[in-house]
Amino acid sequence: MKNTLSQTLAVTLLFSMSAIALAQTAEEKGLDIAQQVSAQNDGFADSTSSMTMTLINRSGKKSVRRMRARTLEVIGDGDKSMTIFDEPADVKGTASLTYSHATKADEQWLFLPALKRVKRISSKNKTGAFMGSEFAFEDISSQEVDKYTYKYIGEEEVDGIAVHKIEAVPAYKYSGYTRLLNYIDKERLVAVKVEYFDRKNAELKTLTLSDYEHHEGKHWRPGRMEMINAQTGKSTILEFSDYAFATGLKDKDFSSNALKKLR
Amino acid sequence: MKSNLPSITGMQYVRPNPSRDLSRILNHGWCRVLLTLVMLTGTAQAQAEWSQRGDLSFQTQFFTASSQHSATQSSNVSLSGNAEFNRPFGENGNLTISPFFRVDQHDAERTHVDLREFLYRYSADNWEANVGLGKIFWGVAESSNIVDIINQRDAVEGLDPENKLGQPMINLLLLKDWGEISLFVLPGFRERTFAGKDGRPRGLFVIDTDNAQYESSNEERHVDVAARVSGAVNEWDLGLHVFHGTAREPLLTFPDFAPLYYQITQVGADVQATLESWLLKTELVYRSGDVIKDHAQLVTGLEYSFYSVAETNLDIGVVAEYLYDDRADQADTVFQNDLLIGLRFALNDEQSTEALVGVITDLDGGANVFTAEASRRIGDRFKLTAEAVVWANTKDDLLLSQFANEDYIQLELGYFF
Repeated sequence: MKNTLSQTLAVTLLFSMSAIALAQTAEEKGLDIAQQVSAQNDGFADSTSSMTMTLINRSGKKSVRRMRARTLEVIGDGDKSMTIFDEPADVKGTASLTYSHATKADEQWLFLPALKRVKRISSKNKTGAFMGSEFAFEDISSQEVDKYTYKYIGEEEVDGIAVHKIEAVPAYKYSGYTRLLNYIDKERLVAVKVEYFDRKNAELKTLTLSDYEHHEGKHWRPGRMEMINAQTGKSTILEFSDYAFATGLKDKDFSSNALKKLR
Repeated sequence: MKSNLPSITGMQYVRPNPSRDLSRILNHGWCRVLLTLVMLTGTAQAQAEWSQRGDLSFQTQFFTASSQHSATQSSNVSLSGNAEFNRPFGENGNLTISPFFRVDQHDAERTHVDLREFLYRYSADNWEANVGLGKIFWGVAESSNIVDIINQRDAVEGLDPENKLGQPMINLLLLKDWGEISLFVLPGFRERTFAGKDGRPRGLFVIDTDNAQYESSNEERHVDVAARVSGAVNEWDLGLHVFHGTAREPLLTFPDFAPLYYQITQVGADVQATLESWLLKTELVYRSGDVIKDHAQLVTGLEYSFYSVAETNLDIGVVAEYLYDDRADQADTVFQNDLLIGLRFALNDEQSTEALVGVITDLDGGANVFTAEASRRIGDRFKLTAEAVVWANTKDDLLLSQFANEDYIQLELGYFF
């Protein structure tokens, strides 16, 4: 009985969804895809990973930062996350804790290991460079659907991958961008390219996401992100490794006391 | 009956006999037990991994005028090292060992060693115990953290109150959904360090650290107690504390200039509101005791940040803080009615270039202390820091006028690991 009922429901839903799809405006379709991209990430519970960030200046000189991150999924709000720095050596042991929120300001703390001081910091700084890189804080913060309004542009191909092209306009008034162009892989529902336009609506940066891996049979995560700044000629490569999911992290592992104990 | 001269908190440099101090700490019964335990378990679990961080720094100072006192050098060099070694200790345990040393060209008091931390931690689900030598920070303000009372200052290290001596402690931490309750028993007092007769910068008189006096008959063995409740609710961070024991800053006896450590009971609060680009900060304490007049101290102010100035990565922060002590001229601090104005610059470039300039103005006498500090990473492992301090308009100020000729420029190159 149960099966029959849920099957009926599924079929009915399928029909009604395609009916909606037919009547969708470009805005609705853009939002719909953004929600699907977000949904494929739901239910990860928590995750940990290691990151290597390589900054490359115009003359090709490289400098490297290493850090580790842990994230806790918060149902109905933005995620909680912690990042600890391993390199460069002068910031080794420095760690940050962020409670991100979809609609109100994020909460953020910084641990300074030499002073044993936990400092609450302003989270308004979205446009600033993360560790001197080409990534702004808003590029790497928790991506919530409500942070943008969307508009479906059309279909394209990026490196042989069929994609949806969607324009996203930041809802946050202090964003450094007028708009983003997201290129979403139609099959895997992940971004493979993002173009950022500055406050004068000039092309600023291009992010290429690659080496995606499928984790836990449901979540796609990029192994490599490359941000190229068209205006300065500088670029940053962010490489991820040691992904682990559902490691049993709890709310208390994201407290200011836990921030002090992170190594 | 000895009359007391105000000590020059915030403006003095410390230092009793370092080796004596360290051996005294290590000879504390429980510290010996801990040490033995560490050595035993250390050999048993030699495979467990230590993590470490720290620096080795070369410092040079230039004094722009001849001093009014016995230390006549116009420059000074010194080498210091900080390290923090950490490793897990069984399933719920953890051990931190943080040694420090400095070798100074001129000042024998500044040549010293310390254990900033030698702390064993046991973590359970809703509580945590810390035993050993620890370092604790309380407070929110930028100019002066009057609530930050657990550790003694290692004042011979410099003007920065963030240099602290390791404090013997037994600490129980109760973890709650809204924050934490932290309880301290502090067995054993650390005397403040001060610049010696050959040390600069310092005031006119050499502090006689070998003859420290105490109000308590238990002297440096007086067991202090403290408790703090802290937590965060939305944009508010709040801490409330109580402390009973030996005050960290001494009065000075006259005419010997020996430190006199007195007993106090202190209650206090620290609050920060984080409102987009605005940070509002307040620290408040009320102190009572038999030797001192009961009094209140206050630090209150705000910080505003301009991010990505002119479409660059430059951030500029403006800090304004007011410091008050209701004893006015009787205060054993220079901050009885003072204003700090500061500017913080962060370039957010590859080398993390930063600068901080500030001026503290005494609203009663008009004396100024100007400070400037800038730092920049060099390569992956080095960092260069430059600092300058100028005392100005001090002629009507009994305390600050002693520093009128002590202006200095300091360069420090640190190797980090």
